[in-house]
Amino acid sequence: MITFIAITAVAVICVGLLPGAKMLSVGTALRALIEPDGKIDSILVWTLRLPRSLAAAVAGAGLAVSGYLLQTLTRNPLADPGITGVTAGAIAPIVVFFVFVPSFSSAYYPLVGLLGGTAAALVTFWVARGGNGRPLHLALGGLSVSLFLGAITIYVLLRAGPQSTALLFWISGGFSGRTWSHLALMLPWVIVAVAGALVLHRVISMFSLSDHAAAGMGVHLRLWKPVLLILAICPVAGVAPVAGPVAFVGLAAPHIARLLRPAGTIWEIGITAAIGALIVTTADVIARTAAIPKELPVGIMTALLGGPIFVYLIQRGRLDFRGDAT
Amino acid sequence: MTASATSTTPAKRWILPVSMALVVASFLAAVLLGVVDIPARDVIAVFSGHGSPEAKSIILDLRLPRIATGILAGIQFALAGYLLQTITRNPLADPSLMGVSQGATLTVTIFLLFTVYIFNPGSNTVAELPIAWLPAAGAVGGMAAGGIIYLMAFRLELSPLRITLCGIAIGAVLHALAIGLIAGWGSARIEIILEWLSGSLYARTWDHALFLLPFTVAGLAVLPVIYRPLSILQFDPVVARSFGLSYRKQFSLVLLVSCALAASAVGAVGPIVFIGLVVPHLARFLGGRRFSLVLSLTIVLGAVTVTLGDLVGRLIGGAEEVPIGVVTAILGVPVLIALLRKLP
Repeated sequence: MITFIAITAVAVICVGLLPGAKMLSVGTALRALIEPDGKIDSILVWTLRLPRSLAAAVAGAGLAVSGYLLQTLTRNPLADPGITGVTAGAIAPIVVFFVFVPSFSSAYYPLVGLLGGTAAALVTFWVARGGNGRPLHLALGGLSVSLFLGAITIYVLLRAGPQSTALLFWISGGFSGRTWSHLALMLPWVIVAVAGALVLHRVISMFSLSDHAAAGMGVHLRLWKPVLLILAICPVAGVAPVAGPVAFVGLAAPHIARLLRPAGTIWEIGITAAIGALIVTTADVIARTAAIPKELPVGIMTALLGGPIFVYLIQRGRLDFRGDAT
Repeated sequence: MTASATSTTPAKRWILPVSMALVVASFLAAVLLGVVDIPARDVIAVFSGHGSPEAKSIILDLRLPRIATGILAGIQFALAGYLLQTITRNPLADPSLMGVSQGATLTVTIFLLFTVYIFNPGSNTVAELPIAWLPAAGAVGGMAAGGIIYLMAFRLELSPLRITLCGIAIGAVLHALAIGLIAGWGSARIEIILEWLSGSLYARTWDHALFLLPFTVAGLAVLPVIYRPLSILQFDPVVARSFGLSYRKQFSLVLLVSCALAASAVGAVGPIVFIGLVVPHLARFLGGRRFSLVLSLTIVLGAVTVTLGDLVGRLIGGAEEVPIGVVTAILGVPVLIALLRKLP
């Protein structure tokens, strides 16, 4: 299953090499991919299209795993980086630094994002009583945190003047013009999260039962809860400075993965990551081909995709509103 | 989750007069204070028909219209939130959280895209902005989003909590679409939409107040009609029907009123978040279980909150004022979070 999804994602990346302002044929693209010769076609493939598709795949995998971890931690099917306020928490301080402290190196933005995201998540979880409250609490708590930070972001944007356009495009989420160095910037964060989740799959599977059950089976809650939370925020911190918020991927991917009934937690994590990569890569390809030569922000595509899934989940009654278990 | 369980303190007689006095006080403060210092004597002179031309234009053309627009919008937001909270029996419902604001944002964005951008893209000429039409465009989008909430509520027979969550999801999708459109259209006159998006009373004219007035009046006029159904709609559908209420009809009516109030207000002043959410809670906290008192307090406090919030934004920022949407979000969120913590 996971190989199938991974192959599909790779296929989408390859197909994504073809369209654009200059259409390439399959043969040209493949030749440029295999033997880069410094001509326009291979520059198109190697410096423009490949890195951004790979960045999309990595970001998608990271965000999906982040959503998966948050859903497990809170045992709340609605949890995802956007809804828990983590994304807004990562974005707002970065915007503040970008506008008011231009000398601050952008290499540290992931760290800023990590701190901001963690702070926002802590507030949200405090409101939702550490995930013991009802889904509504988590959703509204995260929404309030997001709106609060969003108000600050908008205000900073208003003060930013000429920089606001660049910031706004970043805030709407996208992979346009992302290079290999962008990819390198976020890759370690995503790898930490995905690898960490895979290594800790036993702890995670116990967490998904309940706090009590996990404690009963010898999981040290006070140690592992914060660790999993940090792991969940890592990819957001890595992806946000590069691609901005990419909505709904973290929400949708784990649910789709569960629909496929994976054989165990470790497979669930793997499939979640693969599906996240597939979703964002596809969304990115659509976003840059739907209105050639203009680009749509990828956030629109993922929102259009994830929103209906969200509504479907709610109205199908898959969510339990008492909040004990799903 | 009963809507009025916030407080059990007995309602006090003095609350309503005091808050009425607060309206007058905040109104006077908003007229008197501002970036330009105008002595009280000059203000009185303006109102009695004398006064210098500068003072006249500042008071009559700048401050008064924006105060009037703010008061009307505040009443509408607060009332819309109160109505929706009551009928969905969800203390956290608010049209501006559930898609109405975002729907309005989307239509305003599309509207600006077609009127401003398509016809003269990238040019630096001062185009005639279709400001007069913005409120109408916003109101249409807000109503459409309200229609979606309505369809969900009845086609899918959702529980109020699910309606709230679906509303939030729909709002998020619409918001993402709007932001995407803005980002896609590029740099030309982006500040127009940003200013509107943050919820601002900046440069509101009498036209805005006149646009809002019929909605406010209609909303207040319909209150006596929906007053009794409203007090019954607080209960379960089953209980409400056993009172002899035609649940569906009345629910639709109140939802319609709520969405119309919120949508028109968003159209005129942009999405000022949290007025509709926080003010009814404040009213319930002060008014206890007395339905009529809470309702009137909601209206009065809505006006006060927006007037004061705008005043704070004007005074803090100086010449570059802080939009009221930012003020209310920053002041309102801690209140909301405290409420969320208190909720069972």
